[in-house]
Amino acid sequence: MLLEVAIASKDYLSADGRPRRALEDLRLTLKRGEAGAVVGPSGCGKTTLLRIVAGLDHDFAGKVALPNHGRLGMVFQEPRLLPWRSVADNIQIAAPHASRAEIEALLDTLGLAGHAEHFPRQLSLGLARRAALARALAIKPDLLLLDEPLVSLDAALALELRDLLARLIDETHVTTLLVTHDLAEAIALADKIFILSPRPARVAAVLDIAAPRRLMTLGAGEALTLKAKAVIASLRD
Amino acid sequence: MIRLASFAAMILLWQAGAQYSDPRHLPGPGPVALIMLEEARSGELFVNLAATLARVAASFALAMSLGSALGYLMGRNRLADKILDPWLVVLLNLPALVVIVLAYIWAGLTEAAAIGAVALNKLPGAVVVAREGARSLDPTLDEMATVFRLPLEARLRHIVLPQLAPYLAAATRSGLSLVWKIVLIVELLGRSNGVGFKINLAFQLFDVRLLLAYALPFVAIMLGVETFVVRPLERHVSRWRSDAA
Repeated sequence: MLLEVAIASKDYLSADGRPRRALEDLRLTLKRGEAGAVVGPSGCGKTTLLRIVAGLDHDFAGKVALPNHGRLGMVFQEPRLLPWRSVADNIQIAAPHASRAEIEALLDTLGLAGHAEHFPRQLSLGLARRAALARALAIKPDLLLLDEPLVSLDAALALELRDLLARLIDETHVTTLLVTHDLAEAIALADKIFILSPRPARVAAVLDIAAPRRLMTLGAGEALTLKAKAVIASLRD
Repeated sequence: MIRLASFAAMILLWQAGAQYSDPRHLPGPGPVALIMLEEARSGELFVNLAATLARVAASFALAMSLGSALGYLMGRNRLADKILDPWLVVLLNLPALVVIVLAYIWAGLTEAAAIGAVALNKLPGAVVVAREGARSLDPTLDEMATVFRLPLEARLRHIVLPQLAPYLAAATRSGLSLVWKIVLIVELLGRSNGVGFKINLAFQLFDVRLLLAYALPFVAIMLGVETFVVRPLERHVSRWRSDAA
């Protein structure tokens, strides 16, 4: 196992000052090279889960195990690039050991070849997110964390980036944990789908995808969609 | 161009003013330039300008580095802010003259006392500005740095300093002009060289020509520092803002 998450509970203070439970008895595991997608409605605690895995939130009961201090690459919802450094420098700063040639190859793969010397402000959101993805991949992460990687992109761009992500996961075999509210996105990218219950969130169902991404047939995709929708519907009652 | 014309008008006005007043009270640009030349030829002018400039540089560097570090600490750490804030308020409201006289009484009429006193006058201003800057640091970039495990040196250089740059530039501008004025007072009260010392001499002799002959070159030097060092530096560090698409 590469990643083992066993969160007994995670509370937060709501606006009226009372503690609320966000996550309860949430368990999930990922093997090396697997891509897992956490699916749940907005506000169910997906981002909270991701922040705990990323080590940004230590205020919870339970355990997150990442062997040998695994390197993390993360793509936040907002790109979080340094606006005062060029795209190439942004990557270099996060990955000081990456050579300039490696960075250029990476930018090329992500369709950013002409933007190495641009400042993040000169990029559209789609391009900035690709740059953030390049930064996360440049450190050769043991675990890649993606927080709603396709959110607020227009439909065509989202599809394009989705296919790119699927290709990268297939080619690099990087262990990936992504959270999304979009079932189709999860089905297109993951080996394993974790469906979260409403708050307090736990993993209500795990769907394994035997033939993921480019191996997936249209029929298998549709069957999976129906199955997942049935699970989600049963959680609402 | 407009700046230059405005500057020329200032000289003309000075010339015109000098014509209608007692030359001992307001000598024209000509006599002042003559004295300046004389002082330059004897080397006096440069020795004293250099002495003052060195004091400005030393006390400014001391105040800015210490002030930035303290301000950063206070902006990031609530406990440090609570502990140090009363000290800061006292220092902010202590008149420059009191600090200078106390420094001379306690540490003697020494170079260290002079530079220390000037630095202490500039320090609280630098702290306040740096604290403001540290408070406005973007927490989302901090999180990014945490996830990517950026070492401290990289964090300071690539994340903290670029965000503090506009604040530090503002502190530099107001700081330089404040520091050199206080340096003159320190020199007037307890040093035997420098522009302030010369102005004291001019005061005792009631020699306005000598006074201006030392004051004007120094103003020119500080103007040069502002135009050729501070502003280009500011433009360089904020270039990522200007050429946004």
